[in-house]
Amino acid sequence: MSSEQDHLKETDTEARFEFKKEQNAAVKSEKGLTEEVIRMISEDKDEPDWMLERRLRALKQYQNMPMPTDWPGQPDLTELDIEEIVPYIRPDVDKREGVDDWTELPDEIKDTFDKLGIPEAEKNALSGVGAQYESEVVYQNMQEQWEEKGVIFMNMDRAVQEHPEIVKEYFMTTCVPPSDNKFAALHGAVWSGGSFVYVPEGVTVNMPVQAYFRMNSEGMGQFEHTLIVAEEGSEVHYIEGCSAPKYGTHNLHSGGVEVFVGEDAHVQYSTVQNWSKNTFNLNTKRAIVEANGTMEWVSGSMGSKATMLYPCSILKGRGATDTHITIAFAGEGQDIDTGAKVYHNAPETSSTIESKSISKDGGRTNYRGLVHIADGAENSSTAVECDALMFDNESTSDTMPYMEIEESKVDVAHEATVGKIGDEDIFYLQSRGLDDDDAKKMIVAGFIEPITEELPIEYAVELNRLIELEMEGSLG
Amino acid sequence: MSTTQVHANLTDEQVREISGNLDEPEWLLETRLEALEALEALDMPDVIRTPGRDWTNLHELDFESLVDPLNAAENKDQVGPEDVDVLPWAEAVDEHEELLKEHFGSIVDPQENYLTALSTALFSTGTVVYVPEGVDAEDVTIRTEQNSRSLFNYTLVVTEESSSVTILERQSTGDEADEQYYSGIVEVAAGENSYVQYGSLQNLSEDAYNFTLKRGDADTYATINWVEGNLGSQLTKTEVSTELNGDSSETQIVGAFYGHNDQHFDLDVKVWHRAEHTTADLVTRGVTDDVARSVYEGVQDVGRDAWDTSSYQRENTLMLSDESEADASPKLIINNHDTEASHSATVGQIDAEDLLYMTSRGVDPRSARNMLVEGFFVPVLEEVDVDELREDLEDLVAARLRER
Repeated sequence: MSSEQDHLKETDTEARFEFKKEQNAAVKSEKGLTEEVIRMISEDKDEPDWMLERRLRALKQYQNMPMPTDWPGQPDLTELDIEEIVPYIRPDVDKREGVDDWTELPDEIKDTFDKLGIPEAEKNALSGVGAQYESEVVYQNMQEQWEEKGVIFMNMDRAVQEHPEIVKEYFMTTCVPPSDNKFAALHGAVWSGGSFVYVPEGVTVNMPVQAYFRMNSEGMGQFEHTLIVAEEGSEVHYIEGCSAPKYGTHNLHSGGVEVFVGEDAHVQYSTVQNWSKNTFNLNTKRAIVEANGTMEWVSGSMGSKATMLYPCSILKGRGATDTHITIAFAGEGQDIDTGAKVYHNAPETSSTIESKSISKDGGRTNYRGLVHIADGAENSSTAVECDALMFDNESTSDTMPYMEIEESKVDVAHEATVGKIGDEDIFYLQSRGLDDDDAKKMIVAGFIEPITEELPIEYAVELNRLIELEMEGSLG
Repeated sequence: MSTTQVHANLTDEQVREISGNLDEPEWLLETRLEALEALEALDMPDVIRTPGRDWTNLHELDFESLVDPLNAAENKDQVGPEDVDVLPWAEAVDEHEELLKEHFGSIVDPQENYLTALSTALFSTGTVVYVPEGVDAEDVTIRTEQNSRSLFNYTLVVTEESSSVTILERQSTGDEADEQYYSGIVEVAAGENSYVQYGSLQNLSEDAYNFTLKRGDADTYATINWVEGNLGSQLTKTEVSTELNGDSSETQIVGAFYGHNDQHFDLDVKVWHRAEHTTADLVTRGVTDDVARSVYEGVQDVGRDAWDTSSYQRENTLMLSDESEADASPKLIINNHDTEASHSATVGQIDAEDLLYMTSRGVDPRSARNMLVEGFFVPVLEEVDVDELREDLEDLVAARLRER
């Protein structure tokens, strides 16, 4: 490891996530959701009319849709009062579209992201970084070598202004329409910030691009939108990191992610999120994968009070492939309801889902998955594997997979196991000199290895640190 | 979602007449009337729902025309060895009122859902199997042939300490050709250290609608093993389940189904681990052909106090046609970490290599396919203790393959 990486590892992760900043907003919306608030957001962003119309249409759909309350065993959303959430806060930065020189950021924001380790990560391993503070992207940079190849990485608000033809075509049209669910509609109405990634045909971006989302204010909602378009034969790895300090009132995070994977293209989307334990994390993330394209979802769900997140791939073209690797950790008072959805809509498509969960101190994890194999998707295959590790009998771990199979020429397999940490394993490690806590940490580290090995080293280190902190019960 | 479709043409008088014909005591009549009264407020049994879709639609059933409570007719065999009571309902009411008072409706709540309440209010035929302490009873047989538009059947099995019983139940259709409705509730109260194997073979006409709920309560060291075979009916909604309420109790639930034409099977298999050192093993294998549809839900629920639980579930579906659909949702609900639990589910077609292997050795493709389908059921058939049930299942599968 380089000395920078050592430095990253040694940074006090707890301090990095838990500090709070004074609020210093240039523009802050009223609480709640009204047409006026939507118009205010759109006006503040100086948006074209078509985007305002899309927002208002989404608002109507939101108002007409019921809350999802009839899922078996779903997280309790009764404490979530959307009318009390502030949907839009623009921090006080000089340039609306964010700066591309780190030193130009206001000290308070720079300090925030310094503590989170974003600048080091950019220097070390990334081809581009975007950083969102509250509702706006405050910093955005892309290494020149990629820009020269036509790769676009900018914040979503700027993309609306600068690439309207692409955004018009893809933004909440076919992938995540606002009509999809209540929170997708909410997102469509109040979205702000997020990333736009466009990779032209045949271009391989061989270093990850990263966006980091930070919620700082109490009682706010963050609704960033991420749109990734990977043209035929291209390749890109996008990483998203999220955090927010803990406050007394509830925050809401309801992001929207749309990924278009062209023919033979390859997109990896990695998330490590560590929302504060009073955040409701309710997202819609979906990819449409063309022939022979590959979509990989890697996600680590830590933090939050309740998470409902089921990244979805629609395998639209022949030979399209999906991979899901997810890990969830629920401690005291947390309900992490997460899983995967895959629609096999074409022949010879394949998917693998590997889900790991850990529950401790009364936390609940649930794998909720749907695999749909449409009539005509012949010679498709899917393999789902879920493993749950539980620390105590106050905790709960559920597995609720759904398989809808309409085609006979398929190979569908689902497996799940639940177990306590093996006494024998602990005994073995103790007999080699580790104390009980270290033995458990080591077992957990081994348990989550399949996901950490998919992540760049900074994130893998980060995830391990976070889990260690959770194990010590010292976070939030 | 509320269900008010039938209630209109059902009356207290009908229920009083059914109860009176069976010479039932007042408390039973009251239970029936309360169930009738509750119908209006009750929902259909839970079915799997994903956004935008109910996997089984029970609301389309036209109960008004299906339910004809005063004209029930059946042929029935209720036989068993001498030291066991295998009694028709009316006789059981007469001879074992205390037993009924203790157990009737104690395992399956009469008002659990709309269909259980309907069954409780209207059942006109039933069987009580009572096995006294220490008695081993093999070969209890209950055959029900439905000869009327609707038939509501109730079965209660009570085993005293350290007794054992194997029961084979069958449902089939007699003369009636049109659409029918069969509804059956089975309650099994397995006493301490007793053993129950309850095998069921449903082969109703393919115009029939079928609702059954079989549930057992296992006391300390008791074992309840179920075999659930489903071949007949147009639409089946069935639940087979065990509550492991006693320490060290065990259950095995073995299922086999074969759907063809436009049959629809909705099969629930559930186990609740509620005590320490309990074990469950759930195994289901089924075939779907033509435009048939299977919906499988399996639940292993481990309670907070269920220390040292072992729980296993496997479900495999073989699809013989492209137009059929096989849905599965095997669920684990785990509240105690001292648990070894796993489940698995697969859906696939006949293995092409196996088929090639057999045809290359001179077996014609049709026979090869039939042999592979029959072979597919072997792992569940092996678990069936009752020879007659196993052989009947094998014969029915073979016959269905012949007509394919």
